[in-house]
Amino acid sequence: MLVLRRSLFSEFLAVVAYPLTLYLAFGVGLKGYIADVEGLPYPVFIAPGLITMTAVNAAFDESAWSMWFHRRVQRTIEEYRVTPITVYDIVVGKILCGFSHGIIKGVVVTGVIFLFTPFRFTLLHLLIYLVFITLGSMIFSCLGTIVGTTINKPENIGRIQAVVIVPLIFMSGIFFPLSSYPAALVPVVKLLPTTAAFDGARQALLHGAFPPGYAANLVITATVVFVLAVAIFNRKMSE
Amino acid sequence: MVNGTNSAAAIAMHGITKLYGELRAVDDFSLDVASGTIFGLLGPNGAGKTTLIRILTTLLRPTSGAAFVEGRNVLTEGKEVRRLIGVVPQENNLDRYLTARENLILHARMHGMAPVDYNPRIDELFELIGLAGRQHDFPDTFSGGMQRRLVVARALVHNPRVLFLDEPTTGLDPQSRRAVWEYIASLKAKMTIFLTTHFMDEADVLCDRILIMDHGRALVDGTAAELKERFAHAHIYEVEFRRNADRYEAMLRNLPYVESAERSGNLFRLTLAGEEALKTLMDELGSADIRKICLREPSLEDVFIALTGRTVRD
Repeated sequence: MLVLRRSLFSEFLAVVAYPLTLYLAFGVGLKGYIADVEGLPYPVFIAPGLITMTAVNAAFDESAWSMWFHRRVQRTIEEYRVTPITVYDIVVGKILCGFSHGIIKGVVVTGVIFLFTPFRFTLLHLLIYLVFITLGSMIFSCLGTIVGTTINKPENIGRIQAVVIVPLIFMSGIFFPLSSYPAALVPVVKLLPTTAAFDGARQALLHGAFPPGYAANLVITATVVFVLAVAIFNRKMSE
Repeated sequence: MVNGTNSAAAIAMHGITKLYGELRAVDDFSLDVASGTIFGLLGPNGAGKTTLIRILTTLLRPTSGAAFVEGRNVLTEGKEVRRLIGVVPQENNLDRYLTARENLILHARMHGMAPVDYNPRIDELFELIGLAGRQHDFPDTFSGGMQRRLVVARALVHNPRVLFLDEPTTGLDPQSRRAVWEYIASLKAKMTIFLTTHFMDEADVLCDRILIMDHGRALVDGTAAELKERFAHAHIYEVEFRRNADRYEAMLRNLPYVESAERSGNLFRLTLAGEEALKTLMDELGSADIRKICLREPSLEDVFIALTGRTVRD
């Protein structure tokens, strides 16, 4: 957090610029060309997804790059390992660090979108939405930790983001409704944890709904990836 | 001979073996290091030095054998061992996003120290390493020697009882090396120091006891003087010629009692089979072209090379 505080302005700009640009390009630029989606104006339809995308991307980026940098470049992980803290303390700390980045940046973008766009939501909806953004950030922080632990070449982290993370996010109905998929494919897409995070977040923020299936999916996925991240890091450290 | 084990030792290893697949990095290695000693572990690249340090600092589990630091088992009491040790790794693994002082504070916090304890200790260490005026700067702005001193200071924040230094002066200029030497020597009364190095002069100056290892095994163990004494029988002579060095080189390499001949310009360093070989050699060479001939006292480097060979290791 000390390091984040030091670079607050540049972090703020970087975090806000991407979702705001997408909002302006798709939500405002294409607004006249796209009819309402599921009864909602298109900018309103995409806004929750953009916030969630910011949060989970921030969680993944922070965990993956921080873990890789501390392990491969600064080698500070080795310094931590010769102190009385345990390998578990280190990996849980890294996961929580990525998770915190996700939550903080998600909240910042929520505030900016609230301030600079006509998108509105109630406090209750926001609180339900926080459940999804929290679980989503935890999942992506754990995934980032696994990537940062196992991958040695930095370009491969970028490749994982391009080939796995971004498609998973975009397939989850961030810019289009899930009903656009062929009917046979919809149940499969709904099983994706990213769909649970993005569609669940949208339902929470826009309608105050709490889809239990999505919530259960996220809790189970978060538990599995957390255990995996800890086990993989522990194994890597004992090599 | 490697010393036997001793229950009062600061560091003890019994039959440590570490395998990496087929490679035997450490092979049935045993060692005791007495408290308050500066112990130097020497060996060429790949000899197993760093593997041993990693085992002793709980970073690596041996394939077999047992190791103890201050009586604590590194395998079963890792956390306790880490409370007692300070580690200076080969690379300066400082956090470049934290200031020099913040690096030391983070280390203190990981050791569970309270600000009331670590702040005066850190002040004292910055004075000691001569970086008090730079403590709020980032390590990236420091020279290699300053970063090295900071890494050593970081390892001392929690007052360790055993300090491990893995090649502490590699990459430093001569002035910085000497500054680190003085600093290490000043710690001697307060803790046991276990260091690995490639530099024979470093081991010679600093260490109370030196062990040379290769291929994962201990080769020889003793004080610098003892090790040199063991090789005093080596009959090493330096012969310098005025002219015709090429002709003499061919001759020297064919003499059966010349065990090795190293050439540097017109100067040859010869290892003879025995003292009596000197007279025969002089008869062969004659005196016309010889500028000088002298007996050379073996250095620690001679001992090292004699034991580990000349082949360059990766």
